[in-house]
Amino acid sequence: MEYLELSGIRKEFGEFVALKDVALDVHAGEFLCLLGPSGCGKTTLLRIIAGLEVQSAGRIVQAGRDISRLPPMDRDYGIVFQSYALFPNLSVADNVAYGLVNRKVPRAERAARVKELLALVGLPDSGAKFPGQLSGGQQQRVAIARALATSPGLLLLDEPLSALDARVRVRLRGEIRGLQQRLGVTTILVTHDQEEALTMADRIVVMKDGAIEQIGTPAEVYLQPATPFVADFVGKTNLLPAQCSGERRIQVGAQRFECDLDGKTANGAALRIFFRPEDVRVRGVNGSTPNSAAAVVEKIEFLGAYSRITFRLNGIEQPLVADLSVNDMAEFHPRPGDTLRVALPSERLRVFAG
Amino acid sequence: MSTARHPAAERDPIDWAPAHAGVTRLKVHWTDRIAHAFLIFAGLALALFLVAPMVTILAKSVEDRAGEFVGLANFAQYFQTPALMRSIWNSLWVSSLVTVITLPLAFTFAYALTRSRMRWKTLLRNMALVPILAPSLLAAISFIFWFGNQGLLKPLMGDGQIYGAPGIVVSMVFATFPHALMILVTALSLTDARLYEAADSLGTSIARKFFTITVPGAKYGLISAGMVVFTYAISDFGIPKVIGGNFNMLATDIFKLVIGQQDFAKGAVVGIILLVPVAVTYAVDAYVQKRQSALLSARSVPYVPRPARAFDAAMAAFCWVLSVLMLAVLGMAIYASFVKLWPYNFSFSLDHYRLGLVDAGIFPAYLNSLHLAFWCASLGTVFIFVTAYLLEKTRGLDAWRPFVRLMAVLPMGVPGMVLGLGYIFFFVPAANPLHFLYGTLAILVLVTVVHYYSSSHLTAVTALKQIDNEFESVSASLKVPFWRTFFRVTVPVCLPAALDISRYLFVNAMTTVSAVVFLYSPNTVLASVAIVNLDEAGDIGPAAAMASLIVVTSAFVCGLYYFAQVWLDKRTQSWRDP
Repeated sequence: MEYLELSGIRKEFGEFVALKDVALDVHAGEFLCLLGPSGCGKTTLLRIIAGLEVQSAGRIVQAGRDISRLPPMDRDYGIVFQSYALFPNLSVADNVAYGLVNRKVPRAERAARVKELLALVGLPDSGAKFPGQLSGGQQQRVAIARALATSPGLLLLDEPLSALDARVRVRLRGEIRGLQQRLGVTTILVTHDQEEALTMADRIVVMKDGAIEQIGTPAEVYLQPATPFVADFVGKTNLLPAQCSGERRIQVGAQRFECDLDGKTANGAALRIFFRPEDVRVRGVNGSTPNSAAAVVEKIEFLGAYSRITFRLNGIEQPLVADLSVNDMAEFHPRPGDTLRVALPSERLRVFAG
Repeated sequence: MSTARHPAAERDPIDWAPAHAGVTRLKVHWTDRIAHAFLIFAGLALALFLVAPMVTILAKSVEDRAGEFVGLANFAQYFQTPALMRSIWNSLWVSSLVTVITLPLAFTFAYALTRSRMRWKTLLRNMALVPILAPSLLAAISFIFWFGNQGLLKPLMGDGQIYGAPGIVVSMVFATFPHALMILVTALSLTDARLYEAADSLGTSIARKFFTITVPGAKYGLISAGMVVFTYAISDFGIPKVIGGNFNMLATDIFKLVIGQQDFAKGAVVGIILLVPVAVTYAVDAYVQKRQSALLSARSVPYVPRPARAFDAAMAAFCWVLSVLMLAVLGMAIYASFVKLWPYNFSFSLDHYRLGLVDAGIFPAYLNSLHLAFWCASLGTVFIFVTAYLLEKTRGLDAWRPFVRLMAVLPMGVPGMVLGLGYIFFFVPAANPLHFLYGTLAILVLVTVVHYYSSSHLTAVTALKQIDNEFESVSASLKVPFWRTFFRVTVPVCLPAALDISRYLFVNAMTTVSAVVFLYSPNTVLASVAIVNLDEAGDIGPAAAMASLIVVTSAFVCGLYYFAQVWLDKRTQSWRDP
């Protein structure tokens, strides 16, 4: 049995359907990311799990208990909002202890628990301060400590990092992930930041227009996207219209490539192919390399560890991008206007029905 | 646990929707039921003490004296009475004239406060706001002492008379000025300095900047201030009563018809007629407010005026002249209250206080006013704030909320005279189980709180909206009932706003005349009503004394609120400014 089971979750706001019969299982102890562009329904789904929104239809079972119609007070979760929602007039310690006071936890025990939690989130000495005296990242950690204080079975994080600046965000990603693994608390994080999802999650749920596009591990979502949308949303992608021209052959503009088709694709069927910039090879490529073509370099962006080359292939209108490592760059030192032989390895080309 | 409905849920009125309707509803937690109970209570209270009286006016207006339904006969009769018709015209043109005079004065004053570098701004601002502390009729009394038949400056009037329209207009300008000033100061403060910098970089002339940036920016404020002044003027009762002489206006007509002639039906008709212009102005204002919303972005840069010697001097001169005139009006009432026998013996005396108020048995009215103000400022504030909180921050009861919300802003469009009239119609009949309230202090508290409900409610809502909306969600996730968060977080954070509401209610309860003038009994005469009665009896000296007492009390209490605020800031708001 899964820890959290959502089935047939539907949410309508008047005419607008925010969630279309979403079904989702969350394993006990896993870190799950709901990923999608704004308006895809990910936050609505989280709020439905929290009981802060009411689903129009559907069932939620948490730890074997049907919580579909329970008010938030009767559910078992801790939540952290984008705004943190720390009580500004209470000290950090009082904020963390907020949920404990109501459970008639003895004072000494409470103080010990607050101390333990603040140490856990790396703020052992900040108990006496007010939230306003802390930085955004520190406030975020206090909010997490407060949510964890009552040892909930489920931790809900609603875009918790989006209000922070880039450096703090990267550091907190690791910290939250580490904390979650140490405590083993089942966690659902909502984000629109694919990098955040890829680095933190055990599994990612990619959502679009109120429906789930794909559920998978970060590697699955990145390497084997189930739909063109997922391919495009997660990571940088080249996505091209193509046509099936044989059992293992496709035609893209004037170019022909070999790739793995499922065998059922009819000759002449419209397809779309996709490959990542890092899939493009330049090393050891010559005229006889399969799936190779002459590329005309248009633009080069230096991005530190690698450079992003914008190029065109003969007979294909759309500009394509390739990421070349520092070593590749040193060896081939392409300049705009140069011609470079590139290969698209067939095992890296993914094909979707057009 | 299954989705089968708990037996208790079946009995729950909020849970009516049958499961097969396809609408999922959460079970309501018992703590939320408490919130719902309070909200239902608040809505019922507002229905009872606002809607019911107003509906009764409508009913009365289509009945004859015997209580028979006569359709629109009363209205027909009204419109055939030239004297009454003239009141409509009088009310309209006087209020319009007051608006036309007050707005430019207040705008210039506000402009000086926000856009010049003149000195003593705080002092000037407070001097200009002083009229708020006084009942409106204080201005009328003062102008009588200045320009009345026995006035100090009577010779300046030539053959003219202060009694009638001239006195009404100047008194109303005095009384409405601070209300317009506050709105316009806010409007002019909400400007983005970057607009002026951009204009400067393009070499824009001062006049062009004024007409292309300043005026459009303050446009909504100007409209809003105009509406407030017009409404105040058309619904004020005290000023035309005291200085109007034979000049009739709608508000005085209601009083005469109801109290003088006991003609309730016609009083109701006038009440409804008075409701029309006020309702129109508030509809306009509400529309304008809606459009104003996002005038100022979070990234706006506050405007800091640059020194300009001539301009600053001119602005200072204007403000000082106006402020001194204001103080002269206020001061005259206070001075006159200490004069032994106007205009024959100007020696200092406490006779008006001692003989005119205490010995005449009128002093208890002052104590009644204090009682009234105290209950309004305490219970009224609690009720208004709790209701606003429940509306803004709790969940459920979705069908009921819009009704309560409407009730909360409706009083803004109801002149005090009309509200008071509705109360008589509703509470006087012995058949009403609430009849026992009539003649008590309680009904005065109720009518005053309802009369000043909207501004207070909006103050509370503004403060509540500034609080993170997720506090209640977080509390629920931590299994903390809402009232704990209300007392531990919401109230401390909103304390400055709550004090504002409380002060506002206190001062208005001290100064109001219009709604309560119908509802007092011999035991519950209020200070402001006593002024009306004293003036009517020709005892203008004691009337001035009572008005002065009110001003001094209001000022003193505002001082107390100020210090309470400072003290509380230190104790409970330390987190604001780490």
